[in-house]
Amino acid sequence: MIAYTLRRLALFVPMVAGIVAVTFAIMLLLPGDPAVVLLGEDATDEAVRDIRRALGLDRPWYVRLGSYYADLLRGDMGMSIFQNQPVADAIGQRLGATLEVAVVALLLSIVLGVLLGIAAAIWRGTVIDGGCMLFAQLGVSMPVFWFGILLMYLLAIRLDVLPSIGRGDPLLFALGDLLRGRPGPLLDSLAHIAMPALTLGLTNAAVISRLMRSSMLETLGQDFIRTAHAKGLLPPRITFVHALRNALLPVVSIIGLRFGALLGGAVLTESIFGWPGLGQLAVAAISQRDIPLVQGVVLSFAIAFALVNLLVDLMYSFIDPRIRFE
Amino acid sequence: MRAHLKVMAGALAAALALAAGSVQAQTVRLGADVDAGTMDPRVMRDTTAYRVNNLLYDGLVQLDANLQPVPDLAASWENPEPTVWIFNLREGVSFHDGSTLTADDVVYTFETILDPDLKARFRSLFTPIEVIEAVDPLTVRIVLKEPYAPLLSYLDMGIVPKAYVEGGGDLSSAPVGTGPLKLDSWERGAKIVLVPFEGYFAGPPAIDRFEFVVVGDNTARAQAFEAGDLDIIQSPLSPQDISRLAADDRFASSISGGLGITYLNMNVSDPLISDPALRRALAALVDQDTIVNTIYEGVDQVAGSILLPSSWAYDAGITQPAFDPAAAAAAFAEAGWSDTDGDGVLDKDGAALRLTLSTHSEDPNRIQALEYIQAIFKQNGVDAAISIADWPAFSAAVRGGQHQIALLGWLNIVDPDRLMFGQFHSAGTLNWGKYANAEVDGLLETGRATIDAAGRTDAYRAAARIIASELPYYVIAYQGYQVFHTDAVSLTPDARGMMRSAIGMQ
Amino acid sequence: MARPRIAGNLSLVVGGAIVLAILLFALLGPTLSGYSVEGMDMRSRFATPTADHWLGTDNFGRDLWTRMSVGARVSVSIALMSVGIAVLVGATVGLVCGYLGGWVDLVVMRVVDVFLGFPPIVLALAIVAALGPGVVNLTISLAAVFWTEYARVVRSVTLAQREMDYVTAAVALGASSARIVFLEILPNAIGPVIVLATLGLGTAIIAESGLSFLGFGVEPPTPTWGWTLAYGTRYLRSDPWLSTVAGLAIMVTVLGFNLFGDGLRDILDPRGVAQRVRRTPTQ
Repeated sequence: MIAYTLRRLALFVPMVAGIVAVTFAIMLLLPGDPAVVLLGEDATDEAVRDIRRALGLDRPWYVRLGSYYADLLRGDMGMSIFQNQPVADAIGQRLGATLEVAVVALLLSIVLGVLLGIAAAIWRGTVIDGGCMLFAQLGVSMPVFWFGILLMYLLAIRLDVLPSIGRGDPLLFALGDLLRGRPGPLLDSLAHIAMPALTLGLTNAAVISRLMRSSMLETLGQDFIRTAHAKGLLPPRITFVHALRNALLPVVSIIGLRFGALLGGAVLTESIFGWPGLGQLAVAAISQRDIPLVQGVVLSFAIAFALVNLLVDLMYSFIDPRIRFE
Repeated sequence: MRAHLKVMAGALAAALALAAGSVQAQTVRLGADVDAGTMDPRVMRDTTAYRVNNLLYDGLVQLDANLQPVPDLAASWENPEPTVWIFNLREGVSFHDGSTLTADDVVYTFETILDPDLKARFRSLFTPIEVIEAVDPLTVRIVLKEPYAPLLSYLDMGIVPKAYVEGGGDLSSAPVGTGPLKLDSWERGAKIVLVPFEGYFAGPPAIDRFEFVVVGDNTARAQAFEAGDLDIIQSPLSPQDISRLAADDRFASSISGGLGITYLNMNVSDPLISDPALRRALAALVDQDTIVNTIYEGVDQVAGSILLPSSWAYDAGITQPAFDPAAAAAAFAEAGWSDTDGDGVLDKDGAALRLTLSTHSEDPNRIQALEYIQAIFKQNGVDAAISIADWPAFSAAVRGGQHQIALLGWLNIVDPDRLMFGQFHSAGTLNWGKYANAEVDGLLETGRATIDAAGRTDAYRAAARIIASELPYYVIAYQGYQVFHTDAVSLTPDARGMMRSAIGMQ
Repeated sequence: MARPRIAGNLSLVVGGAIVLAILLFALLGPTLSGYSVEGMDMRSRFATPTADHWLGTDNFGRDLWTRMSVGARVSVSIALMSVGIAVLVGATVGLVCGYLGGWVDLVVMRVVDVFLGFPPIVLALAIVAALGPGVVNLTISLAAVFWTEYARVVRSVTLAQREMDYVTAAVALGASSARIVFLEILPNAIGPVIVLATLGLGTAIIAESGLSFLGFGVEPPTPTWGWTLAYGTRYLRSDPWLSTVAGLAIMVTVLGFNLFGDGLRDILDPRGVAQRVRRTPTQ
């Protein structure tokens, strides 16, 4: 297992190298010059030349790429052109917000998806089943930004029950406050995160509910469940416990991929709800041609995604001992 | 522990305020469209940095609501000869770190801006400065290479503390100014919190806390304002939200002339567009009224010329060709364009009239305006295509003179020089289409070198008249400046979006 | 599969009917309405449905029925072409990797890792920004996001088949590699690929709307659904009708493709191979 983990981690190296190269190639192809964006359209050609030299943009591409790799090996992601700070700091300030909303969205969608899936499986063929599956279908068919804007309109403006934008204290700090007997910050943080997390988690909840339903139905049809029934063990509880444990396996197996989708979905959700995360930073960095920052943000997304997948695969073996890693 | 102290201090202050019975704890939250890139005024680029720095720092002058320079750090100034300016600093002004302002700080600020290594965006505004020196601790002398009338309008640049910066202080994230507010906290991408500077030379401001809350999307920002999560929002706003907000009696609203224009950049170096007669014919197909009053819902104003109504040089008598398809048809015919093959597209010498209109993807209203112009062009025999790219790509193309007709804007035109010298002088650095007219060159040089207001006015009006006829630019709209705020805030609108009035200054 | 046949067929029928209806709408819409797709009328902007304008009008007073119909052509073409390219590229890569194995497989799969590492919408957005907006460039950028799914599914099928007795037998009998790959192995991948591709069509339509919202869609006056929706949401408060029509059109069409894909899955991919590699609606 340790060997397997190490081997998987070793695969990060070519992935990171490749992502850097592909991102760099795309950024080179992008028309437009960060020096001009930096100075504004009223910049003189001379000023632009000076800045390009100062930023090292006048060097040949292979020198720039090479020096980026060399810096990366030393753990240095360079300076952001526009944020006046190291890329690592810019990402550090935003990563927490994105992970927070992605994790809350994931948990929300798992709870929602699993419950709906179970309900649909238990009351299979009824109106409940139909309703759950309709939700599942519509959830993956709705453009997320449309859903987000409608949600904001309904909950923040019409009903005025949730704040429309922004983030409260980080959830972990707010939890700390709660432990010290102050529930205020936590409530505030939860109120802020509710709509972004729901928007981000909608598609996911839909996907999970369908998977959960079919996997639950499959498990309920399996021999050991029937045996449990035949032996006269308590139907509801046992059915539930036995079937649930087995039915959850496929759900766990897709969580890694789904988490990647959530991170990607953060791009749209964050720009709607003014959530100060990496998604907004990614769009801003691309639209300013802030090459080091784009590199850094894309790399953090990729590494977060790869780590979660590794974690899920390891967890999978823990839940289902039949899985062995070669 | 520190948090506790802060809470206790806050409670104490609140109790005192209650006891005093007059002061009320007040937080003002302003919606901003972008986060500030830096809090060092010398290298600022975006509007949020501009506005935050205006609260954190003082300049030698401030610009009042009419853009006239008024004393700030400089208590007074004189202009003994056209190329020499002498500024007398206010006494006993202190920075947020407790140090005292001297002439050295002023000299240091502008010397570093002029140093190319600092990469200051506004460096070119100050390059006419030959030398800047401290005569004594409270007197600064600026010697210009040549007379440069606009200088005073640009001296609202924030003054930074030399000792702090040279001692390794990082203004970009830990600003130290002399302004009425100082930085409390900055959550990047989300919120900038400013609090009163007790040592401000004109006495501390009337509020307890000023927040810049970043919401990128215009519509989302308007919704947040309506939901009560913001106290002030201002341009840029979606026109679609404005009439609704204006009708809402919970909010005070004000609309005024801004400092920007939206215009068509007609590339005179393009073989097709180089013909002024064709440019005039095309201009008569631009339905300014519909664009301004329907698409932009009346926030902006139909433009007549390159001179802004807020400027001292404005003259309503100068006009560009107005929307008139019949006149356009006649003008096309006169320029040799007619539909000889009956395909609905004008042609001349066997070539059809095809051109490309371009703008950038960030502003949906500009895209909408372009889509509308294209439709009218097509109806009148001009086969126009649309090209949209994001800002860096679009501006690279326009700067390279690769466009035909581009829709874009200019902002912060505090002086006519700012919109004309670089753009229309044959040696101008922003003259992307290489427009050249010796008469215009002469007039613009006169406008720069003349200090006398009447002389400048005449020069700029004469130049504007030529521009309105030759049309290297077709100015569609004077951009309006719109601000909405709740009753809790009192505010005098400032076309640059500055917020000093919202904290009880001026 | 525990799911009863009838449910699968129901999905197939309902999904198929929706898809068919959309295609008919795309083909016949402008003819039925008689309006031109670009004809503006600034005096009747944002009309709700009337006898003249069956779906009302848009922000330029253009007939929305006609715009949506032509928009269906554009959106569905983008979806078909991007998925088509992704299938071709992905299947080829998957077959080659799965069949040859060894270092080719190792290297190419690292390339797949690289593409999977990008957040899908960031990759698509960066490519559109690099190439410029437009139907073709949008198609290419979506294909660049989608192809890894097909590479992975075809590779896994190929790997599994390669070890089967009949392939070993064919090799022993001296069959050429091309023959084995195309006649023996590929047919096994067709089912899952068709299922994935059908679901991918819906994903592509949603992705187009997301990119339009961020300003990276097809340039006007081409009437894409994504652009109409992105635009309509700007007028959500004053004239909600526009975004409602566009949003519902997207939703119903994606729903149709998804139902159809689900129905196909029960028939063509009973073991759910496609399920395991499908990553996301791109948003």
